[in-house]
Amino acid sequence: MREEVTYRVGIPVMDLRGETLGRMEKVLFSASLHHVTGIVVRSLESLRIIDLDRVNSVTASEIRTSLTESDWHASPIFDPSQYEEVPPWFFPPGYRIEMGALMTIKPLDVRLGGEAGALSRRAFMGRSVGIVAAAIGLTLLVPIGGYIMAAATTPVTDTWRDLGVKLLDLPVDEPVQKAFRAVAVSGWMRVPEERSVWLIRHTGESDRWSRSADQTKNIDSPLERRNSDPRLTVLSPICPHLGCAPQWHNGQKLFICPCHHSVYELNGKRVSGPAPRPMDQLPVRIGPDGSISVIYEQFAIGIAAKVRLA
Amino acid sequence: MGQKILAYLEERVRIRALMSFLLDEPIPGGSRWAYIPGSMVLFVLILQFVTGMMLAFYYGGTPDHAWDSVNYIDHLTYRGFPVGRLIRGIHFWGSSIMVIAVGLHLLQVFLWGAYKRPREIMWLIGTVLFALTMIAAFSGYLLPWDERAYWGTIVGTNMIGLVPVVGEILKAAIRGGVGLGALTLSHFFTIHTMILPTLFILFVILHMVIFRRVGPAGPFSGSPEQNEATKDTFYPRQVLMDSFGMLGVFILILVLALFRPPGLESVANPSNAAYSPTPAWYFDWIFQLLKMVRPEIVGVVGLPVLIGIVLVFLPFIDKKPVRSPFRRPISVLSTLFILGAMLILSLMAEHGYKKLVDVDRASMQRGQVVFNHSGCLGCHAVFGKGGKIGPDLSEEGLVGHPLSWLEVQFVNSKANFPDSIMPNFTFLTKQQQHDLAMYLSSLGRMGWPDPTKAQP
Repeated sequence: MREEVTYRVGIPVMDLRGETLGRMEKVLFSASLHHVTGIVVRSLESLRIIDLDRVNSVTASEIRTSLTESDWHASPIFDPSQYEEVPPWFFPPGYRIEMGALMTIKPLDVRLGGEAGALSRRAFMGRSVGIVAAAIGLTLLVPIGGYIMAAATTPVTDTWRDLGVKLLDLPVDEPVQKAFRAVAVSGWMRVPEERSVWLIRHTGESDRWSRSADQTKNIDSPLERRNSDPRLTVLSPICPHLGCAPQWHNGQKLFICPCHHSVYELNGKRVSGPAPRPMDQLPVRIGPDGSISVIYEQFAIGIAAKVRLA
Repeated sequence: MGQKILAYLEERVRIRALMSFLLDEPIPGGSRWAYIPGSMVLFVLILQFVTGMMLAFYYGGTPDHAWDSVNYIDHLTYRGFPVGRLIRGIHFWGSSIMVIAVGLHLLQVFLWGAYKRPREIMWLIGTVLFALTMIAAFSGYLLPWDERAYWGTIVGTNMIGLVPVVGEILKAAIRGGVGLGALTLSHFFTIHTMILPTLFILFVILHMVIFRRVGPAGPFSGSPEQNEATKDTFYPRQVLMDSFGMLGVFILILVLALFRPPGLESVANPSNAAYSPTPAWYFDWIFQLLKMVRPEIVGVVGLPVLIGIVLVFLPFIDKKPVRSPFRRPISVLSTLFILGAMLILSLMAEHGYKKLVDVDRASMQRGQVVFNHSGCLGCHAVFGKGGKIGPDLSEEGLVGHPLSWLEVQFVNSKANFPDSIMPNFTFLTKQQQHDLAMYLSSLGRMGWPDPTKAQP
């Protein structure tokens, strides 16, 4: 029998004439031959084995056999001591097991088909060891993966911070590096940190530098789009290539990164060098009194998209 | 596929012979459940290694951060699942289960007479591993740097100081100075995570190598011919038994870690004179003995040293080849007597401890609302907030007042303290009194702020 067969406990077993002999009780599985060899049928007076060769068809509701009345009485009596019960998962691939509906029996005699290819007692134990080891390993490794990922996926959060500088105090179209105190959260520790941003004041929308390269390329997130001002561009000090700090060269009117010579214009536009995108514009708010506050966002390094680290 | 990999490895590392060497070890008399404790110890040790490495990922080994980092681990969740608490729980309960497994292994080897010639050296290595286990348990106790850890280690290291001649210098060397401080913590962390694991690996390998050189002892009864006839190889039957044992131990530790997670008391406070430290349960018997034996030195040094001497010299004193415990009544009965005495001492110690209230979280949270709305903070301070007229209640939960005592305290303070100036909060309902008592019993023991939700 090559095709998949489902054996159901309790369905009637018929003889050649269609008379009910009894009900199916167990399935006999040969460990050495690696397939089902027979079924055990319970009639009113006995439990007998019917060889699979005598079974004509197996359906969900009945099993038809080619036995006659006298054949049935000549069938061997089922002796439980000669067989061993095994759990359903023991069955090899290709046999469909209905949990709780099927009893599987493995003959003790493994000599039937020779040792080769037999699922012996030894292999059964080996398989059980493997299952137990895998169960323990997975149960341990899954929480460990979560444990490592828990810290790795902690969002980088920051809030609006006032830079303590007024808009009108800044020079026009000339970057000023403004340092400010912030707090970085790393796991259980809050670390006071000095950060800085580039501030570039513009005269207004008519100023040719008032649109940052990020705005022109439209790679800003809603947060940055909502919080921008034509009077001021705030650029992150982190080079989007590999995270060095580009410096402003007043003579050339360019930002140049000392590490790999990515070169940017005043609005952050990349002129040359290996950087994949312009310098990152940060969200900014300008108060009625000209006070400046920013969110110190950080973005993924080395890619063309402006992806906020979170 | 599997066959191909096997053939590849066979050609290059001769995997078949290697596996055969590892797995086909003959066991005289056949596999038995009685032989699994050794494998259980190895399994729990590996579990401790793995979870310990994970804890070290997030641990900060200085007095100003250790507690915060452990609190952080306790609050670490991934997709809502408390992974940090689970990992710490496995490590915490793993240490207790390891002590039990080592004890069972020792007892089994003793009862089977398996330490006798030619296995004396293996036994000696085993006693070293036993000592390492106890040192690991003791040194790990300090690392969370909470009240329990701090005061337990104060007492534990002071006991080392009682050792004649070298005691004081030994204590100072372990503490890294006179008191408990930053150096003590880094000393203990180094001992716990670097020195001990190195020694563990070394001595476990030695233990295993000798085991394979002399072979398993087998049953204590039956003739050599019988045992030869019924012999079995390590794989598969004994391996299967071992793996079922490991599964059982693993499930036990998981259940304990999930349903009885380790607590974290408030951060070590050297000025908290009211704190009464209790040792881990496996040192309970020493704790009790210290109360009974004078001078202390006998209990502190005498007993552990005596146990050590007996363990070390046992195979050299007891040289008779007879192995059956039924034919060695004196040594077996005296050992069982000592174990029984240790058990009784431990039970006495546990009985003597102040029982801290088993806090019900829902009731505790309701109680916190009652606390914040009933004017308690007018006189009492909790975690730095509140008045200075009454006592600071930040560590009230560690004092050990029973619920009934607390409930009386709210409505009739003079019943507990005749000179009390505390007003009687008679407007509190019975339920509110109960919830408030629960909340106070939790103070200093749980409900710490979640550092993973910290805003910059």
